[in-house]
Amino acid sequence: MSKVIAVARWEYLEKVKSKAFLIGLFLTPLIMIAMGVLPTLFATQEDTESRVIGIIDPGGRVVAPFAQRMQQRYTLKNGRPNYIVLPLVVGPGGDVEAAVQEASRRVAADELEGFFVLDPVRDSVVEFRSKSVGDFRIGARIEENLKEIRAEQRVAALGLDPKVLRELDVRLDVRMVKVASGGEREDGGFEKVFFSAYVFMMMLFLLIITSGQMLVRSVIEEKSNRIVEVLVSSCSPTQLMAGKVLGLSALGLTQMAFWGLIGVAASVQFGMNIIDISNALLLVLYFILGYLLYAAVFIGVGSPLNTEQEAQQVTSYLVMLLIVPIVLAIPAMKEPNATWIKVLTFFPLLTPTMMALRIPIQMPALWEILATVGLLLLSIYLAMVAAGRIFRIGILVTGKSPRLGEILRWIKTG
Amino acid sequence: MLDVQAVRKYFNSTVAVESVSFSVSRGEIFGLLGPNGAGKTTTIRMILKILEADSGTVTYDGKPFSEETRNIVGYLPEERGLYKKSKLLDTILYLAELRGMSRTAARREALRWLERMGLAGQDQRRTEELSKGNQQKVQFICSIIHDPVLVVLDEPFSGLDPVNQILLKDVLQELKQRDKAVIFSTHQMDQAERLSDTLCLINKGKVVLGGTVRDVKKRYGKNSLHLEFDGDGAFMTELPGVHRAMLYERSAELELSGATQLRDILALVNHRVDLRKVELLEPSLHSIFMSTVGEPVDTQTAGEVLS
Repeated sequence: MSKVIAVARWEYLEKVKSKAFLIGLFLTPLIMIAMGVLPTLFATQEDTESRVIGIIDPGGRVVAPFAQRMQQRYTLKNGRPNYIVLPLVVGPGGDVEAAVQEASRRVAADELEGFFVLDPVRDSVVEFRSKSVGDFRIGARIEENLKEIRAEQRVAALGLDPKVLRELDVRLDVRMVKVASGGEREDGGFEKVFFSAYVFMMMLFLLIITSGQMLVRSVIEEKSNRIVEVLVSSCSPTQLMAGKVLGLSALGLTQMAFWGLIGVAASVQFGMNIIDISNALLLVLYFILGYLLYAAVFIGVGSPLNTEQEAQQVTSYLVMLLIVPIVLAIPAMKEPNATWIKVLTFFPLLTPTMMALRIPIQMPALWEILATVGLLLLSIYLAMVAAGRIFRIGILVTGKSPRLGEILRWIKTG
Repeated sequence: MLDVQAVRKYFNSTVAVESVSFSVSRGEIFGLLGPNGAGKTTTIRMILKILEADSGTVTYDGKPFSEETRNIVGYLPEERGLYKKSKLLDTILYLAELRGMSRTAARREALRWLERMGLAGQDQRRTEELSKGNQQKVQFICSIIHDPVLVVLDEPFSGLDPVNQILLKDVLQELKQRDKAVIFSTHQMDQAERLSDTLCLINKGKVVLGGTVRDVKKRYGKNSLHLEFDGDGAFMTELPGVHRAMLYERSAELELSGATQLRDILALVNHRVDLRKVELLEPSLHSIFMSTVGEPVDTQTAGEVLS
């Protein structure tokens, strides 16, 4: 046992001190936060300079109210208007096309942010022509104001009081509220659930990938420098493997605890209750089980390999398997009770990630939890035995990597 | 200490080791010789339970290999390597701990050995910063730090400069004096001849020669008489007591059979030709190696030699 601890301790300390681990430890949450926060940050960023919007309005009825609304409603931080509406005149011949060309030239020359043409005929479509078509906000604002102006003018044409419009504008929101297991309502809508499920899945995914690769890499290093011969003359291959799994599990838990702390800190900071404790404990259980199962798979698959390239190739197949739940996240979100989702949960390699997805959305039935945990334990046991058999022979194989049939024979003969 | 009985190992259908037997006692330096691919490394791996023998037995003081055995053997593999990115001391401590040493004892011994091997003050350096020769010395330290009863060294001298070869030789002699058993494999016969007490020559997975160096040389029965002379030496092939004679223009090499007395032969020869130089040479291990490995070896003879 002390030798298992010695191996575990070595694997843990050497990896913890490695640059790759430290980078992963800090960079991964940063990237995840960046992916979550940056787009909204950029999207909601206020303009700092006034933008000039041109309008070609052959009818001439919209320009004035539009300019007024835009300039009154949206102001920059320094008090100046966000948008300056510039009426573009159409030549005496009524040649809209010429005006469009002239305006396009001015957009190209950066004199205008963009412009739009009000078409008296096709009046349900307005084209806003601009250099950057990615700015959804400007489009939304133009749309909103034009709609209002048009509605007001139509109401006026019908001889009604514009106040009627306010009466007609009935707002209705359908809010999604989750009913918790006790029957009481649980606050937090779709975003929260989706976010927490997704975060857990990504964490599991990243941990399995990084530590699985570390495991394979360490075996390959020991094989290529032949230190493995010294190791297996010092302790049994089973002890060596157990030590490696233990050390890397400790490493994974360290990483997870660290990320968890960041997550808790972030949720406290933003007043967001990401997940409740009972869920979290169950998730941690699935997490550890999943981790162990994949550790066995990585050992079994990695120990006959001899080069980094082969390892990368093989791990990329495993990554594909792990991506399945991520792809399934959105459909699963819509119908967490669908039979096919339940069936997939019982596939041991997918159980942890599927459960990470399902638990925050809707707690699965107790029998499902017991059955999947039992199934996981059984498959961990079987996978470890098989991995041990492959490991024992595989770590001494050098040169050409063995074929699948040969590896299967190792498992059988044990 | 160690007794190897008829171990055999096949990889799929190719023979790695057909049948190898020998024993090594405490206070003995044992040379495992043989050309490349003879099965030396496979034999060593079976001794250390890295590989399981297909048949045959390996016993330590009469008992089979056990978890305790792991702590009393030391091993330097043929292909060298250490953890590149790790610190010397950490690596040594880890491998010592795996041999059942306590960390405090391991630290003390590691520093002592690093100093002895001329690596004092380098314990915090990373392996990759060291020269190949120094890395090999660190590996050697790892194989003996836990004061094993049996030290197995696969080609320990290859890759070392002459100064370090002497250093290593001294340490091995010291281990011998401290009643340890040392097995080393080599294909350099001069090395083996100078260092080992007992040897075992393996070829194509079989033992072809074994025993003490002295015995082997004797038993090989090749007391070789080199003569230079004037005159016709043709008669020499017919001499009684000469096992085989090789004649040249003015010289001859006579292989004397076991009981032949040198002075009888010389009397016969001196009578017929004018001798200018007479030299009785013991065959070197090298020539034994060459003639044994160079020609097909009869299994039966090998068996006799062993018994």
